[in-house]
Amino acid sequence: MELFNLEIAVNNLGPLLAGLQMTVLLTLVVFPLSLVFALMVALAGMSRFAVLRWLVKSYVEVIRGTPLLLQLVYVYYVLPEAGVRLDSFTAGVIALTLNYSAYMSEVYRSGIQAIARGQHDAAAALGMTHGLAMRRIILPQAIRIVVPPLGNYFIGLFKDTALCSVVSIQEVIFTAQILASRNFQYFTLYTVVGIMYFAVSFPAARLVGYLERVMRRGYRRRRG
Amino acid sequence: MSMTGAPMIEIEGLHKHFGAQHVLRGIDLSVSVGEVVCIIGPSGSGKSTLLRCINHLETAERGRIRIDGQLAYREEVGGAFRAHTNRAISAVRAQVGMVFQHFNLFPHLTAIGNVVEAPIHVLHKPKGEARRRGLELLAQVGLADKAEAYPEELSGGQQQRVAIARALAMDPKAMLFDEVTSALDPELVAEVLTVMRDLVQRGMTMLVVTHEMNFARQVANRVIFMDHGAIVEQNTPERIFGAPQEKRTRDFLRTVLER
Repeated sequence: MELFNLEIAVNNLGPLLAGLQMTVLLTLVVFPLSLVFALMVALAGMSRFAVLRWLVKSYVEVIRGTPLLLQLVYVYYVLPEAGVRLDSFTAGVIALTLNYSAYMSEVYRSGIQAIARGQHDAAAALGMTHGLAMRRIILPQAIRIVVPPLGNYFIGLFKDTALCSVVSIQEVIFTAQILASRNFQYFTLYTVVGIMYFAVSFPAARLVGYLERVMRRGYRRRRG
Repeated sequence: MSMTGAPMIEIEGLHKHFGAQHVLRGIDLSVSVGEVVCIIGPSGSGKSTLLRCINHLETAERGRIRIDGQLAYREEVGGAFRAHTNRAISAVRAQVGMVFQHFNLFPHLTAIGNVVEAPIHVLHKPKGEARRRGLELLAQVGLADKAEAYPEELSGGQQQRVAIARALAMDPKAMLFDEVTSALDPELVAEVLTVMRDLVQRGMTMLVVTHEMNFARQVANRVIFMDHGAIVEQNTPERIFGAPQEKRTRDFLRTVLER
């Protein structure tokens, strides 16, 4: 039995690429949503209102304490029983965003808390309100700290979208499953899928590494 | 050095604890318009905490602070304190400049960016005007050619001078200096003190916590010796350094001047 069948690979490349397109689309929709929502969660978690802090803490702990797979299934199969019916793409986007926002909010939180007390003091002494100091002084510095870890979450998300196959989103894994159930060429199909993931993840990881080095260079403008 | 009568900063019965530690034990202090007051004393005597309370970076439990005649940060209503809104607190802080031991420049902004940040976003000055004034102030502290440099490209002394320009850009009614030369290499202390002497010449009202005894002796109108959260003695620099009345003052001066 020959293992890798080039002809099968080429013949199925079209549908697999379409699947990859869906994988990329999911990533590109969920990541920006998570970037924004996670920041809101992080700021709410540092609010002076105890109720808000408690809500955020509960949300983060529940998400971290349960598997993403369960969260996906929950949004897609369980919510309809409560009358919330979502198409599979929307369900996938919601579950992934809720999940990634919980983790990414912790990245923001630690980034914001890493900014020295003296920066808050200096901003306050200049008459800046808390909101203004956050926006103009603290967040612009925190961004530099959080970009590398957030970049890693981007790569993680790209791979975790594979779980969306359980809510029948036709991303690349789901597509491969369908194709394989017809021709039983598991090795060929899944190898192609693996190469596809790697072909996107690896350059992305290099890019994150580059950003990390740039961020570590400090604020001096890069001359020449 | 003119001394006018009107008080700029008035403090009455200020008390502050850090946990069980009583760090300010009923401070009364008044600084007049144009007056330069230096506070000296051993570390842990409450000098910095006092300065930070004046800018509400620390909240005193008891006592009153008035800035330019206005009761700051809170009201007393029927014997209980009621805090002012955050906006009102920020408005008072905007009138008092503060310079810190560790500079606390904003590292993501250039020197001029640091200086114009609050005038533009707090005072809502037009950008061009803020920049023009900012460049003037950088020139005043001797850094006209460093406007576009980032803090990490500057020496400690240069950073501290930018910090002074940044505080001055708010046109403060008074300036608070919190051990501003303590974190500097010895050869960089003089350039910062020169800028401060220049401010004295310009008539700025200044409250200066310092370990620079010569500076206090030369420029202060009044020197205050603090120990264990209380003002032990205050007088003209000649009297404090020449004929201290209290034993604790004498002991302290002997240790610092012997170095």
